[in-house]
Amino acid sequence: MMITKDFSKKRLIILALLLAGLSVIPHVSGLSTITLFSRIFIMAIYAMSYDILRGYMGFINLGHAMFFGTGAYAVGVMFRNFGSTLPVFLIAIVFSVVFSSIAAFIMGKIVFRSGGKGPVVVVAGAMTTLALGEIVRHTAERWRSVTMGADGLSYRIPEIFSNRILFYYYALIFMIVMTLVLRQFVLSPTGRVLMSIRENEQRAEFLGYDTQKYKLIGLQVAGIASGLSGVMFGVLNRFANTELLSVQQTLNALLMTLVGGTGTLYGAIIGSGFVNIVQSQLLNFRSVHPVFERWLLFFGAMYVIVVIFMPRGFVGLYYTLTDKQKAKVQKSAVGKS
Amino acid sequence: MGEILIETKDLGISFGGHKAVNKVSIKLEKDKLTTILGPNGAGKTTLFNLISGLLEPTEGQVFFKGTEITSLSPLQRIKMGMGRSFQLTNVFGALTVFENVRLSLQSKAEIGYKIFTDHRRFSELNEKTERILEEVLLFERKDFLASELSHGEQRKLELGMVMALEPEILLLDEPTAGMAIEEVPVMIEIMKNIQKSGTTIILIEHKIDMVKSLSDKLIIIVNGKFLTEGDPETVSKDPEVLKAYLGGGVLDELAAEG
Repeated sequence: MMITKDFSKKRLIILALLLAGLSVIPHVSGLSTITLFSRIFIMAIYAMSYDILRGYMGFINLGHAMFFGTGAYAVGVMFRNFGSTLPVFLIAIVFSVVFSSIAAFIMGKIVFRSGGKGPVVVVAGAMTTLALGEIVRHTAERWRSVTMGADGLSYRIPEIFSNRILFYYYALIFMIVMTLVLRQFVLSPTGRVLMSIRENEQRAEFLGYDTQKYKLIGLQVAGIASGLSGVMFGVLNRFANTELLSVQQTLNALLMTLVGGTGTLYGAIIGSGFVNIVQSQLLNFRSVHPVFERWLLFFGAMYVIVVIFMPRGFVGLYYTLTDKQKAKVQKSAVGKS
Repeated sequence: MGEILIETKDLGISFGGHKAVNKVSIKLEKDKLTTILGPNGAGKTTLFNLISGLLEPTEGQVFFKGTEITSLSPLQRIKMGMGRSFQLTNVFGALTVFENVRLSLQSKAEIGYKIFTDHRRFSELNEKTERILEEVLLFERKDFLASELSHGEQRKLELGMVMALEPEILLLDEPTAGMAIEEVPVMIEIMKNIQKSGTTIILIEHKIDMVKSLSDKLIIIVNGKFLTEGDPETVSKDPEVLKAYLGGGVLDELAAEG
């Protein structure tokens, strides 16, 4: 593994401490905190899959929730109809992966059609993804016999997942494994080409890359990751409704990556932590004043503040601060000599 | 005459009635550094765009080593061995200098759509990248972001990226445009080295002083039309060329020298 080579000793120690801390949490905190953290881990991967598109590929997908929502529905519908067992769970995973990669392929074929470049095409592409996402959401809403429509679908989950503490560890492992996988993807030759496409697609084409094909692969990888996080979320939530397929759900991913820092991968974890904790805190305040139930209102404000004051998110802020410190150290070193 | 790499036959394109390139028929030979010369707005870059496939011609044909490529995509033309640079610098700004060249080599190496192998494992590419960076005098800058380089350095980087593709023929669109004067000789030296390594260079320029000693052949384009061609000495004394440029001002130096 390259990981040991990439990280300094100091960083590895910090990571180990962080991991140790995270594995202690379920033993010292209440059920709601445990659930909140499980949610953070799962949503982090959902946000990360969005970051692959926005941060690494430079593609704005407003229909991204379709993969996530379908993953959640896959477990819900299957548990309800075929029983809440582990094999059914595995089938739901396979279904989600197959669906995500096919749906991403179709979406990509429509949106990445060659011909024309520039801002107009970017907006048109984003609008197309929005429409595709809405088609899936509408289908789920109308297909009442399977999805229960707008009422939502509740279901029982397999025995081994019903222990919240154990599931916390599953979610943590899920996050770690998926982060490693996506990190490897970003570091792969294909991931590098996606970054060059983000920078300048025409130039990438003139280097001899079939940019359309690369973007398709990127969208499929992001779609599959998003779908898998949806599967995990379905198990955590024990309930699926069409909101999981909505544009709002996509914007959640956008907000999380924005807060954490786009194009950084790890920013998604920080963003997910921040957004989910703030969201649950706001909901706690609902007894103080009903306005806090409208947490979206606060998120709108947060969105604007982040865009204006820390366009590179928390990770960007960290880099800016450490860079400044480095510059300071260098300056003082120069001053001494 | 040596082997013909690129040939155009009555090539033309019009934008809303204006003929930017008008029935141009030229032949570009192997191992001959040819410069397409003409004043600003003569249609030189448009001609490059037609040859490299960025624009589709409204008339005429393009051939590469005898095969018609008029309707092929830029990508297909690159795979056949055609490389080009752009007039405006065109590097991947947020990526490192090293990564810019490495990506170019990766394309040439055709390692396929690997999605789970670390890109740093392809040590051969890394070594080659360093060699190319040394050739274009950017080795010390390899860990900088491309956007942090000076304009002249970015042009060198771009040249390095095209070199990495090892094209048979290389179309360079005003490679010294906007460069500091002291950097120009360095650039010319780099181009000479590329030519020596077996890649045929085709240049676009509007400054005669730079290309006169460098080029083996000049092709003059005026108002989208082919005017004349030949070795630099003869062409620069051609009365028709002088006449065409009178008032244009760009080649006044040419007249003075002639």
